[in-house]
Amino acid sequence: MNAIEIRDLRKSFGSKQAVRGLDMTVPEGAIYGFIGENGSGKSTTEKLLCGLMIPDGGTVRLFGRACTDAEARSKIGVLIEAPGCFPNLSLWNNMMIHAADLGIENAGREVARVLKTVRMEGAASNKFKNCSLGMKQRIGIAMALLGAPRLLVLDEPINGLDADGMRIMREVLTDITKSCKCTVLISSHILTELEKIATHYGIIRGGEMICEMTAEELDASCRAYTALKAADMNRTKLLLSSRYSRVEEAEDGYIRIYDLTTAEDIAGYLYENGVTIQEIGQSKINLEEYYIDLMNERRVQ
Amino acid sequence: MNRYRTMLRTDMRRLFTSRMFYIMLGIALAMPIAILVMTSSLAGTEMKNQQTGEVTVMENFNSAWEIIGTEGGFKLTGGETEKPESSDHAAAMAMNMDMRSMCNINLIFFMLAVFVCCFVGDDFRSGYAKNLFTLRAKKGDYVLSKTLVGFFAGAAMLIMFFIGAVIGGGISGLSFDLGNAGADGLVMCMLAKIFLMGVFAAIYVLAGVFAKKKTWLSILLSLGAGMLLFMMIPMMTPLDSNMMNVFMCLAGGVLFALGIGQGSRLILKKTDLV
Repeated sequence: MNAIEIRDLRKSFGSKQAVRGLDMTVPEGAIYGFIGENGSGKSTTEKLLCGLMIPDGGTVRLFGRACTDAEARSKIGVLIEAPGCFPNLSLWNNMMIHAADLGIENAGREVARVLKTVRMEGAASNKFKNCSLGMKQRIGIAMALLGAPRLLVLDEPINGLDADGMRIMREVLTDITKSCKCTVLISSHILTELEKIATHYGIIRGGEMICEMTAEELDASCRAYTALKAADMNRTKLLLSSRYSRVEEAEDGYIRIYDLTTAEDIAGYLYENGVTIQEIGQSKINLEEYYIDLMNERRVQ
Repeated sequence: MNRYRTMLRTDMRRLFTSRMFYIMLGIALAMPIAILVMTSSLAGTEMKNQQTGEVTVMENFNSAWEIIGTEGGFKLTGGETEKPESSDHAAAMAMNMDMRSMCNINLIFFMLAVFVCCFVGDDFRSGYAKNLFTLRAKKGDYVLSKTLVGFFAGAAMLIMFFIGAVIGGGISGLSFDLGNAGADGLVMCMLAKIFLMGVFAAIYVLAGVFAKKKTWLSILLSLGAGMLLFMMIPMMTPLDSNMMNVFMCLAGGVLFALGIGQGSRLILKKTDLV
């Protein structure tokens, strides 16, 4: 069964169409990376999914039921924009309020468990307003985790997290999807982090889903390239450009050759032309590069 | 029902941990003291309007209870409305726009507007409302819970104002003569005002859920609505109130709160929640 099934979803704000006939399918147990530029409609889609906004048209189904169904919605954990805490209350009290709203029995034990999961057990007595941005994000995730949800909707949860916070987040998400078969819909701009955990991807642009794929499909779509560093980079680039059709100088300072060729072939060619190679290797473009390529292609179209 | 109780408990907990609530209570206590002491010390002072040359003499309160209410208004007896007979009553009732008729306990109805709007606005700004409604909390429960909290906060402020009036009257040496109203009239007057709070709390909640995160807008709307209904308060709750006044305010409070609550629920149902 699919955890989320969205068909022809539409939402406008005045004359601006934020979501235009969006289709989305998230299988149960997936970690779905929802990617798009600022203002592309990610947050609006998530809010529509959680029933916080009224769609102009289309259908949203959660675990096979309409998204307005109380049973379907009772098992969603959400972190959209702010965690929903009162600034003057302690983290513990805020969590207890949310646990009470969820109708959790043994709320104290459950709150302690999720605080431990996000490594915030030592800060439970801190007032929310005194927490750093990273701590607030972690508390937001902890609140979303309360009551063992079947679906987690996280909007930019990695923003503001330090390296340790990001690692914890990765571990938590991977763990809950494996142990509890929880489905995670996660939107983020930090694609390098997303790439480490996502099993499925959806790329949205201008309120439309432009592609959905699994991590394996993405891997297959990512172009392979040969990267190298040489003593004379300018001459090397000129030489390579004369022989190969797509040669680029990447931001990391390496020259990349995207043509289907082997490193040995390139090394042999450069050796014949008297170029000393310092480093050479083969790799694939990552999610971020794939995404930028895709966006650029769409812009050209 | 369980969920509603949880929501109400949460709101009550928030109310008692909110700094703003205590500040409001402090203001409600200090306001009558300040008004009574100031008017007593300035009584008899002549103030000349430089443009018109008109001289106004500052008048003192005749009794400390005048800050709670004046005799007159619509005194209800057995379903009939008894209009004030004497011209003194009429003057004391509503049209008299001097300081004594403006600076009285009815200001609490405006203070409540600010409090309720901030309380509801906080729900939407903090994301608490978003969490609640994602979990399919009933909109009617939400509205009822906020209205009850508003009602409770308003009642607490009214009581604090009453205590302030007693202290202020004592400090300024004013008489505590109740005139024709009697002690029972004073009690009924306070009860009627407390029950009338239900109507105002419901209106302020309506403005709050309409404006959502825009607290400034809800405060403006609430104060506007409050001003329109302000003259109703002294009429419905005079110092010499009787059981009928109390009953009318109770019935009106409940009916209006439920009716306006339906409006708030509809707004929540038909509009985006974030």
